[in-house]
Amino acid sequence: MNEKVAKLYQERLNRYMTALDCGKPDKVPVSFGIGDWIVKHTENNFQEIFYDWEKSIKAVDDILPEFDVDVFGGGPTLWWPPMWDAIGSKLYKFPGMGLDENSTFQFVEEEYMKAEDYDAFIANPTEWIATTYLPRISTEFENPSSLRGISALIRSSVAFAEYNNYMGASWGKWTVEHGVVGQFTGMTKAPFDTLGDALRSMKGILLDLRRRPEKVAAACEVIVPHNINYALSGAGADTRFPCFAPLHRGSYPFLNPYQWENYYWPSFKAVIEGLWAKGKRTYFYAEGDWTPYLEKIAELPDKSIVFDIDLTDAKKAKEILGGRFCLIGGMPTTLLTYGTPEKVKEQVKRSIDELAGDGGFILGAGGVVMGDAKKENIMAMLEAAREYGTY
Amino acid sequence: MSEKEKKFVPEPGTCTPWKVKMEELGGIPGNEEIVKKDWERLDETAYNFLWFWVHR
Repeated sequence: MNEKVAKLYQERLNRYMTALDCGKPDKVPVSFGIGDWIVKHTENNFQEIFYDWEKSIKAVDDILPEFDVDVFGGGPTLWWPPMWDAIGSKLYKFPGMGLDENSTFQFVEEEYMKAEDYDAFIANPTEWIATTYLPRISTEFENPSSLRGISALIRSSVAFAEYNNYMGASWGKWTVEHGVVGQFTGMTKAPFDTLGDALRSMKGILLDLRRRPEKVAAACEVIVPHNINYALSGAGADTRFPCFAPLHRGSYPFLNPYQWENYYWPSFKAVIEGLWAKGKRTYFYAEGDWTPYLEKIAELPDKSIVFDIDLTDAKKAKEILGGRFCLIGGMPTTLLTYGTPEKVKEQVKRSIDELAGDGGFILGAGGVVMGDAKKENIMAMLEAAREYGTY
Repeated sequence: MSEKEKKFVPEPGTCTPWKVKMEELGGIPGNEEIVKKDWERLDETAYNFLWFWVHR
């Protein structure tokens, strides 16, 4: 890393760390990633960007010099499809593999865990994932003791290692060449989401809350130490950056207040507190609206989360959480798609005026920036952030 | 799979902990720490691989 880049990196890092600790940095930090909206600005289609790591890195390399952000959210793809293809995963369809080559990915939601699996899962979750879930979600691993099954497992585990190496190498390159600071290290989920997303599905878990709520509660409790461990292990030894927690079914009004307080929150709170006890902050990626739950969230230990504002009432979030937890957001993702550069700049100014206050605020998009977001709107956001974001 | 294996519940972060392996081996002639270090690291990777599939 040359001296100029090293200085830039340190400035950005200080800005991010200060805001995470609810302090006031020299400028309002800006956080943003390069989503699949970038694809149309390259010579590639979605399939090429998803599958070809070199092309994906190049897309990022080409735009980073003009991308003035303090905290970088990463490249255009969430997943590397070869890892999924290697085991014949049913969980996703990818561009060019089940979907048009110019489409983004799709999750295929099914009850991959059956209602009758609860007892086995609760008794021994890692064993159940290995022996029941993995064969069930993988066409190539349906018969684990066959050559086809064994080779599929080998292929996919090699791809898992390759993927982690690619990720590490990419971030190393972006840091050294562009001075980027990453948003987080490690990943976790709310146990209810672990159960409701990939295992029981939305329909399944909502029926479970009526028919077998005690099983839901027991499964969530069993998942807690695993989600703490998975987060810490994925982060290596790092406790400086928060751990990413994408949140789904806890958004209002998927669950009613009774269900949220009794089945969603206790186990997720335990994960956050367990991580915080190890010095690891949670990146509370609150997709959707969490306004009704802000008072409960405020019961968490000070600074144990950074709260991401998507459709949550920003003023209420500031009023209830501000000062004790860093807030991130202020730019509705819909405005980046349907707005104009002028409207985006107005929103940046309004958000900074309302939320930046005495610090503890990071400007960013509150949710996932979709593929149809306009580049001119994104660049207008970054420009306005620097114009209005000086304390 | 033996009855013992069926009843064994690994701690979070592990699939086959070193202590289980050592019980089966009944001890090794060389330096245990050298072997244990990589066993545990790779076992944790196996664990993370398995739990990766439910953390989509």
